[in-house]
Amino acid sequence: MSELIAPAPIAQTRPPFWFAWRRFLSNKAAVVGGAVLSLLILMAILAPLITPSDPEAQSFLTEALAFPSARHWFGVDNLGRDFYSRIVYGARVSLTIGFTAALFSVLVGIPLGALAGYFGGRTDWIIMRIIEVFSVVPPLLAALLLGALTRGGYVTIIFIAALFGWVQVCLLVRAQVKSFREKEFVRAAQALGASPWYIIRRHLIPNSIGPIIIGFVLAIPLAMMLEASLSFLGVGVPPPTPTWGQMINEGIDFMFFYWHLAVFPTAALAITVLATSLFGDGLRDALDPTLKGR
Amino acid sequence: MLAHIVRRILSVAFTFLAVSIIIFLMMHSVPGGPFDANDMPVSEAVRAKMMAQWGLDQPLHIQYLNYMWGVLHFDFGVPFQSPGETVVQLISRAWIPSLVLGGAGVLIGAPLGILLGLAAALNRNSWIDYLTSTLATLGLTIPVFVTSMLLILIFAVWLNWLPASGWPHPNRWILPIACYAAIPLATYARYTRSAVLDTLNRPFVTVLRAKGLSERRIIFQHVMRNSAIPLVTVFLPMFIGTATGSIFVEAMFRVPGLGAYFVSSIEVRDYTLQMALMLLITFMYCLAYLLSDIAYALLNPRIRVGGEQ
Repeated sequence: MSELIAPAPIAQTRPPFWFAWRRFLSNKAAVVGGAVLSLLILMAILAPLITPSDPEAQSFLTEALAFPSARHWFGVDNLGRDFYSRIVYGARVSLTIGFTAALFSVLVGIPLGALAGYFGGRTDWIIMRIIEVFSVVPPLLAALLLGALTRGGYVTIIFIAALFGWVQVCLLVRAQVKSFREKEFVRAAQALGASPWYIIRRHLIPNSIGPIIIGFVLAIPLAMMLEASLSFLGVGVPPPTPTWGQMINEGIDFMFFYWHLAVFPTAALAITVLATSLFGDGLRDALDPTLKGR
Repeated sequence: MLAHIVRRILSVAFTFLAVSIIIFLMMHSVPGGPFDANDMPVSEAVRAKMMAQWGLDQPLHIQYLNYMWGVLHFDFGVPFQSPGETVVQLISRAWIPSLVLGGAGVLIGAPLGILLGLAAALNRNSWIDYLTSTLATLGLTIPVFVTSMLLILIFAVWLNWLPASGWPHPNRWILPIACYAAIPLATYARYTRSAVLDTLNRPFVTVLRAKGLSERRIIFQHVMRNSAIPLVTVFLPMFIGTATGSIFVEAMFRVPGLGAYFVSSIEVRDYTLQMALMLLITFMYCLAYLLSDIAYALLNPRIRVGGEQ
């Protein structure tokens, strides 16, 4: 009898994140995704140290379109630039845009989601109608239009990605705040005279940290895909900055004769987006097991 | 039920109007106009007359109303990149390739996805389950133009089995249809799997088993029916994915469809065509949104019978 009861107190003292961490580790795809993502982040940060030449310098014009070799791991592109350097620097663009856009999505999504969830009623109605407008506008087409009207660029893409990224965060936070609004400790805080802002800031947002992390991580691959898609269509980050989407677009023209110009950026983009999504999905399942498989 | 539908129609119509205003304002927020001094060096009086002739001197809201009045009469103006025809004529020519390829993709991908999802749910943790999960994750995360590129590299460049691009011959359709099919396949495989698993865990399935019903009847008569509701809600994201994907599939495979014209209208700043395509797409999305909403209400007795909520 005592053996059966004994483990319970120990389990109770474990923080919830310990269980989340255990669940995360048991998901092999997510762990691999996280490892690949960390490696990519490391590569992006250390880019100048691990690449032989500047990604925009046309230092190898005499070897233009050379195939991969020991000197040029991924070959040389049509303008005489070392392709391996360009791919590595492309990770910088992709990851910065992914993370910054996700950060802004969270910054916009948290207050709106908390407001809608806490006050309900008319506030909720207005915010939900705004979200409805965003859900009938296809993000990519609107992004294309905005990108074309503003002629692209780093800041614009981050703005566009955040413009469509906050919806998911907002919905997640709203659901969480809504379910916590009626809990005893919130009631107690209200009875003690705490202002709505205080309760949201002090009690409801800290309790929504799980959904916030989920929203943040899931927004990263979406922003990266958006950047790649816009750059692919020529309204994203303008050349000569190396981005994978742009390289894929240029690669189409060469793929029948110089396969390396098409294969490497395609593989880089596919691996990065896949790793980030697997990591995000694993984190979501770990932090909120009830959402599994959705 | 009827009240519910009417309310949804009004709400969606309101959203459509809001979106049309936003698009119109966005188009007009771009600096520069058709009769700017460096494009058309004419005297001030002539410019004023031309602006008046095209209604560009009027305040924005009048211009918007004029435009929408034209839209009600199917008058979207003339595309700049092909002035010999109207926007309506161009669209009625360009939607055929998009519909053939996209339609075939959905008709092949969606049933295949549902079958895969069902097989995966019924054989949990088997090889087919892992295959389905892998396919679904790949299809949902990797952008369409990357899938297209991989398919072209494998089947056109290395194996040399199929042509890489073009439209006229049906053997050129195979690769783009495969790319289109990837989206509904992945979406439906993932959601069918989770919906069927959800339903299998419900108590009524245990009761049916206790009653002695055969597994086949349980699956096809009860589980499938109860899993249909989540699948209806997936229709809209799937539709958005496929329609958006058409831009990239058509750009990769050089298909002269709506997606290709959308891209070229952005490249050459063909505002009339761009505006018309944006409105058309928003309209289709609103319609898809409405249809999936009504289908959801029809399938779900809690809303159908309950009426007011």
